[in-house]
Amino acid sequence: MFSHRYLFRTQLIALFVVGSLVAPAMSFAAEAAEHETLSLKATPLFQIGKFSVTNSMLVCWIVALAVIIFAQIATRNVKTVPSGAQNFWEWLVESLYNFLESIIGRDLVKKTFWFFATIFIFILFTNWAGLIPGFGTIGWGHYQPSGAFHVDRPLLRGGNADLNMTTAMAAIFFLLWIIWAIQANGVGGFLLHIFGPKGETSGFLKIIMVVIFFMVGWLEIVSILFRPISLSFRLFGNIYAGESILEAMSNMVPILSWLIPIPFYFMELLVGIVQALVFMLLTAVFTLLIAQHQPGHEPNH
Amino acid sequence: MNPTFFAAAGFTDTLRETADTFGWNPWLFFSQVLSFVIVAFLLKRFAYKPILAVLEQRREQIAQAHLNAEKIKQQLAEAEQRHAEILAKANAEAQKMIEEARNSASNLAERKQQEAIAAAEQIVAKAREASAIEHERTMTQLKRELGRLVVETTAKVTGKVLTPDDQRRLQEEASRTLSA
Repeated sequence: MFSHRYLFRTQLIALFVVGSLVAPAMSFAAEAAEHETLSLKATPLFQIGKFSVTNSMLVCWIVALAVIIFAQIATRNVKTVPSGAQNFWEWLVESLYNFLESIIGRDLVKKTFWFFATIFIFILFTNWAGLIPGFGTIGWGHYQPSGAFHVDRPLLRGGNADLNMTTAMAAIFFLLWIIWAIQANGVGGFLLHIFGPKGETSGFLKIIMVVIFFMVGWLEIVSILFRPISLSFRLFGNIYAGESILEAMSNMVPILSWLIPIPFYFMELLVGIVQALVFMLLTAVFTLLIAQHQPGHEPNH
Repeated sequence: MNPTFFAAAGFTDTLRETADTFGWNPWLFFSQVLSFVIVAFLLKRFAYKPILAVLEQRREQIAQAHLNAEKIKQQLAEAEQRHAEILAKANAEAQKMIEEARNSASNLAERKQQEAIAAAEQIVAKAREASAIEHERTMTQLKRELGRLVVETTAKVTGKVLTPDDQRRLQEEASRTLSA
């Protein structure tokens, strides 16, 4: 995702960032990239002990920092009649709260709002941040025989175009889901919710239903275990695919690399919000299904 | 070897291969978990809590305002009812007063009329009495004058001097004629 017109600026910015931030820990990649497509992996930038800081992780921190700073500015001087940043932040938080309340109910939203709101806001802004020019185009690379510069190690990469990030969010949700389920039903209730027979039956039919639902419970367990995988791969796949499309469109006709990706940018804006919404809604609905107490409510996955 | 072992080994290899393809490794994963937990905690503490507190406070204020509005509405209804009652009572009292005033005025008018009639009758009676007296006096004077004229005329016509008895008799006759 690089064109000649960005060469000089990109090199300057890359040098500045290297010089000021991470120069001691990094070395410029000398070898040419083996492939021209966007890498599936996030690129490590530097090490802190055994922890590698990757370009996607850096973006996550930047986005998180920006969101927290904005939230702090918005809530620094809270007024009863809001205006400016407070108004926007209130609108976002209140809309999310009311939306989630209408889905998972008043009691559950009080307990879980912080997580679902963070999921939505963080995924949304991370996705949109990945569309800012410079992502994937500023970094370290090499000159191709054609004279074009190819970035092998971009400094910034879309946060959700890294499977580690999406699996991290899905795993945290999975853990919280178990905690909330046990809090709502107890251990026995949780197991009964999965393996227990649903519906009103009696006599011999009830015995058959107990056996059937016990077996269905194991399928349910498999389904539950696959949720984090499907959640993480869905988000990663969509965002990675979006970035790949943008890169492909940019490289299609070099002279029009500034024009062709524009419609896809709008599409990616939409994908960014849709994926944030999908992740949040799915996690919210999974939580609702396990936390609701009404017997006979079969989770529908 | 156990086929299950081979299956498990194959699954592990597939997992490792998939993880390697997508650049997934436990350290990066835990780094991201840590990052997300920190972000979620900070957002919960600094971003949602103050706003949710404000929203809750505003919700309470709105609920309180609704409650107050209901209370005010109820008080207004009560005040209006009281006002209507007071107005009705005042109306009734006013009607009563008007009725009393009307009765009083009627009585007064009646009394005054009676008094006026009585006064008028008295005046008429007095006038009648005065008229009668005047009539009497005039008649007396007329009789006397007529008597005198009759006497003078008789004396002149007859050419003789009338005696006091003649004069008295002529005057009495004239007076009798006049009275008749």
